[in-house]
Amino acid sequence: MTKETKNPSIDRVDGRMKVTGGANYFADFELPSMAYCVLVGSEIARGTISSLDTKKAQGAPGVLGVFTHQNMPPIPGWDAPIGGQADGPPPKPKTEETYRILSSPKILFDGQPIAIVVADTYERATYAASLVKATYAKQASRTDLSKHVAEGIAPGGSGDYSRGKADAHQTAPITLEANYTIPIEVHNPMELHGILAHWTGPDKLMIYAKTQGVNATQNAMAQAFKLDPKNIHVHTEFMGGGFGMGLRTWPQETAVVAIARKIGRPLKLVMNRSQMFTLVGHRPYTVQTIRMGADQTGKLVSINHAATAETARYEDFTEATVNMTKFMYACPNVSTRYRIVRLDRSVPIWMRGPGEATGAFALESAMDEMAHKLNLDPIEFRLRNYTETDPEHNRPYSSKNLREAYEKGADAIGWNNRKPQPGSLREGNWLIGYGMSTGVFNAFRWEASARALLKADGSLTVQSAVTDIGPGTGTALTMIAHNVLGVPVEKIKVEYGDTSLPKAPSQGGSAIVSAVGSAVFDACTAIKQALIELAVKDGSSLAGRQADELTLANGILSVEKEPGKKLTVSELMQVNKLTVIDRTKESKAGPDHQKYSMYSFSVHFVQVRVNPLTGVVRVAKAVSVADSGRIISPKTAASQMIGGVAGGIGMALTEEAVIDHRFGRFVNNNFADYHVAVHADVPAIETIMIDKPDPIINPMGAKGMGEIALIGFAGAVANAVFNATGQRVRDLPITPDKVMQKLV
Amino acid sequence: MAQNEHPGDELEMPDASRRHFLKQSSALAALALAPTAAVKAVDTGWDQKIAAAFEQLPLQVTINGTVQNVSIEPRVTLLDLLREQLHLTGTKKGCDHGQCGACTVHVDGQRVNACLTLAMTTEGSNVTTIEGLATNDHGATARLHPMQEAFIKHDGFQCGYCTPGQIMSAVACIREGHADSPEEVREYMSGNICRCGAYANIVEAIMEVKQGGKKV
Amino acid sequence: MNPFQFTRATTPKAAISAITKESGTYFLAGGTNLIDLMKREVIIPERLVDINKLPLATIEKTASGLRIGAMAKNSAVADHELVKKHFPLLSMALNAGASAQLRNMATVGGNLMQRTRCSYFYDTSMPCNKRGPVQAGPDKGKPNGPSGCGAIGGFNRMHAIFGSSSKCIAVHPSDMCIALAALDATVNVSGPKGDRRIPFSEFHRLPGELPQKDNTLLPGELILSVDLPTNRFADHSHYLKIRDRASYAFALVSVGVGLDMKGGMIQDVRLAMGGVAHKPWRLFEAEQFLKGKEATEVNFKQAAALAMKDAKGYGENDFKLTLAPNSIIDALKTATKTA
Repeated sequence: MTKETKNPSIDRVDGRMKVTGGANYFADFELPSMAYCVLVGSEIARGTISSLDTKKAQGAPGVLGVFTHQNMPPIPGWDAPIGGQADGPPPKPKTEETYRILSSPKILFDGQPIAIVVADTYERATYAASLVKATYAKQASRTDLSKHVAEGIAPGGSGDYSRGKADAHQTAPITLEANYTIPIEVHNPMELHGILAHWTGPDKLMIYAKTQGVNATQNAMAQAFKLDPKNIHVHTEFMGGGFGMGLRTWPQETAVVAIARKIGRPLKLVMNRSQMFTLVGHRPYTVQTIRMGADQTGKLVSINHAATAETARYEDFTEATVNMTKFMYACPNVSTRYRIVRLDRSVPIWMRGPGEATGAFALESAMDEMAHKLNLDPIEFRLRNYTETDPEHNRPYSSKNLREAYEKGADAIGWNNRKPQPGSLREGNWLIGYGMSTGVFNAFRWEASARALLKADGSLTVQSAVTDIGPGTGTALTMIAHNVLGVPVEKIKVEYGDTSLPKAPSQGGSAIVSAVGSAVFDACTAIKQALIELAVKDGSSLAGRQADELTLANGILSVEKEPGKKLTVSELMQVNKLTVIDRTKESKAGPDHQKYSMYSFSVHFVQVRVNPLTGVVRVAKAVSVADSGRIISPKTAASQMIGGVAGGIGMALTEEAVIDHRFGRFVNNNFADYHVAVHADVPAIETIMIDKPDPIINPMGAKGMGEIALIGFAGAVANAVFNATGQRVRDLPITPDKVMQKLV
Repeated sequence: MAQNEHPGDELEMPDASRRHFLKQSSALAALALAPTAAVKAVDTGWDQKIAAAFEQLPLQVTINGTVQNVSIEPRVTLLDLLREQLHLTGTKKGCDHGQCGACTVHVDGQRVNACLTLAMTTEGSNVTTIEGLATNDHGATARLHPMQEAFIKHDGFQCGYCTPGQIMSAVACIREGHADSPEEVREYMSGNICRCGAYANIVEAIMEVKQGGKKV
Repeated sequence: MNPFQFTRATTPKAAISAITKESGTYFLAGGTNLIDLMKREVIIPERLVDINKLPLATIEKTASGLRIGAMAKNSAVADHELVKKHFPLLSMALNAGASAQLRNMATVGGNLMQRTRCSYFYDTSMPCNKRGPVQAGPDKGKPNGPSGCGAIGGFNRMHAIFGSSSKCIAVHPSDMCIALAALDATVNVSGPKGDRRIPFSEFHRLPGELPQKDNTLLPGELILSVDLPTNRFADHSHYLKIRDRASYAFALVSVGVGLDMKGGMIQDVRLAMGGVAHKPWRLFEAEQFLKGKEATEVNFKQAAALAMKDAKGYGENDFKLTLAPNSIIDALKTATKTA
């Protein structure tokens, strides 16, 4: 069983498809008489379209239609005035504006679609789109959060938090106050966003989507077009990365579906890379202030953590930026405050590690700064403030092995080589520094369903609508099914990413192995029970045995006490004239979950090399330790962790989407100028799994990993840069200009 | 310029090659050569397909060992030709501007970005895509290229979208002689972005293939 | 992309006559920059003349040094034995540019013709004086986007600190050209009025009042080859490129150094910088200062200070006033050691 023993490494089950080019992503599907859509974006951030010339575009060869606010087909589900978003969570408090794509000449953000051009080839649609010309009545736009922090509003529902004394900071013996900034970061999955929409009947819709949840897209479209979800088929078997941007249905997807209905042909939209910066969310620009107090023994006295983030004028986006501060350390006096500022910007969305990664950079940088003030080793400082119970909710953690994680990570990076005095280690022209940071993220268990079908030939099919955006969900589900039923891995087939399969939540929040894995576990367990019941019933060769005496492995039922006594599953099914045993299970958290705080933890260690002359920072070594319960699929789990490191290096050193606030427009919205980490930025990485099952979370004992792989990493780099140079960089990314030292 | 001679005996539209059409009339030829000709053709009520014929040129290129004779607009990139016309969708579009490497293919043995390659410039060339890398990739028993095997073994991918480009680039990296150390591989593979961050595993896969000494 | 006419030239003469015949005609070599600019509608050509079949890709030894054909691919030059042995600075600079794929496509001639990577130049909704009018299509002759310099007072982190004008502060993006500038290359061109040789320092130009013009080529001229004179810098060459990530990014600042050393003394030196001006920037004064001096950090610092004499920042690129001299020192230190 999974809980007791560690799992073996298996190859990714969809590996062959991915290395041969056989994996089909939404844009790879080809439909008869399919036509192409291209979006035209606004060139201002705020104002009104005064004129729109579409004549040249309409006359260009191959053009089937040019759709603007003047002729956009209606989206029936958008008729009712809604305070919040039409296609996502329930309405929030009323925002200043409502954004309905191509419904009005009003411009709410730069890059807002002002036209969708449809033509018979991609080239013709693209050229025709370039012929659409608009003039605007421009209004002054506000896009720079740093100038408007004071205008922050408390978003509905997420109040301020405090425990202990509000003024504890003032009397703490040692104090620190620092501001930290996270720039706009953009998910930028390699796959461009878009949709392929095909009306197969007047009220029947087939969608090839780039979504992290086919059920979510199905529901959004059902709502938008007032259709029965059953008539909407959404397929996303392969998704070329999401990192959060696929956690909602974006307005342009809905628009393409509406236009496809009007034109009567399947339509494909593949957005361009620049549009990925404005139309599918981003990590919001966030400014944070941390005030921290400690005493001479290295005990935290107080932490105040305030964060202000940008959002759109038409939607209040919030995330859990300050949450980690509430429960991470044993600190009697804690207060947090979270504000948002509505700007002339498109709406953000959760990006890997979401707000927690933003918050962890501030908190874990501040912890390092305080440790330095106290002349304490940063790990020692964290251990002196370690907590075995959640101080926010006053309840135990379901499991927490963070001490062990600190220890193992420190060993692996060679922490004892670190010198407390910054600038002490040098190799030629390079300064060497070590840094570490903690990461933490909720371990969820959402409701999910799965189906398992065991055939008489011993093969097993597992089904769930869940998408696999890259973490290896299919591989993990295979391992879970294998562990329950003992069916060899190569005889298990996992089918996913399609609304014809049992419902599952969207892939996000590091929750899928826990949620869908539990459903697979339950469905397979139900099959196992059925087999055992058949095996012990009258007439069977194992009749009379107790159910718990039987074991099941490699398609054979045996009795431990009676060596040689065996019954194959196929014999058993044949005898009972069964060709398949088919079970579908819905699975969710039990009442026990209320009694515990459930989190995954990580610790990141890095060694950096810094050239003090040029300010160049290189991550030379990285060790990431995951404390996330039982590891289901060691190989793909390690990949998740190294992926977090690569993303973390980008967050720490290179990523920043820059707006020219005079125009409210991005100036680096492409892969040449928005720098995600490349091969040369990323060293060999050591990953360490604590791999101890969580007794509460789910039957596998497994917690999520996708977020903790990233959360905290940027702080570890900043702390290492400080250790190398004495230079504390609080505004990400840590580019050469922030580190170089003036010499001439 | 005289080019792409495909002697024919008929002038018929719309699928007659542009060249046949042009042979008949210098006046028409002049019109065809003007870039706005197609637009004018539409404006004056000509059939769109004739307009298309004006815009198209013949191209002969060998792709994964198969000779392809196609008629395309000169603005069609190799990437869009592969994906949208020849349905070889293993090659991916990640940026369309030579900034990510997802579209990496081999043209006459050299790795290039298909998104910045006008298909017309591959006249007479040999193009290899991910679909043509394995010796006989037609079903479950087909043999994979050693690099494909190594990517699976070392889990050199997550979402899989950049993978065809990474693999095509990795094979070329070894063939070029730029895979002598992990550092060198990292530098020479930097034109292939992987947002999932599988870099460390990709480097391991390439080093294993390189050290394994198999012909790639 | 707009629809355009496509022809193929097999001789330089045919290519030159094709481009001279009709306005709005462009040579298409590797396409790594031109196709990119066409996709962004910064360049909207009437016609492309594909010059990839021109027999101009040879790299050969000459009496006075090395001749590199204009159509030689960047990767072929970087990996060429003669280049690696006698002109390692060129090899290093080439390998610091772009990606392996792009270097397999990009040609030497095309690299010389590279346009700036300034964001405002690339975005036709942003002000730019460099783009000039639309070259083809229904809007031919109209301005291609608003005029003015968006980078002045805007995002100018990547921009020039030397030789800029009130019209334009863009930089030349090439790495290869920094090495060619340092190595005193000559550009051989052919045009409707015949052949001529252009010293490298006169090939690219400063923006002045005419930022649309990157170089001194005359209409219809085609680059045939680049000549490199023999030198004694092979043992002490270094190309240092500082950028916002470890590879596949344009330079914040780059330095090309060639030293001719005897003992600890600098007999001769070449210094050029990238990422700092509208053209590859030779540091003549610093070179003059270092000649005949000892290779010490003190001298390097003084040379760097001399190099920065006329530098001017525009706000976001002020850091280059520190990064540039620091990089000169760092590059000189490394070049002293290499051998």
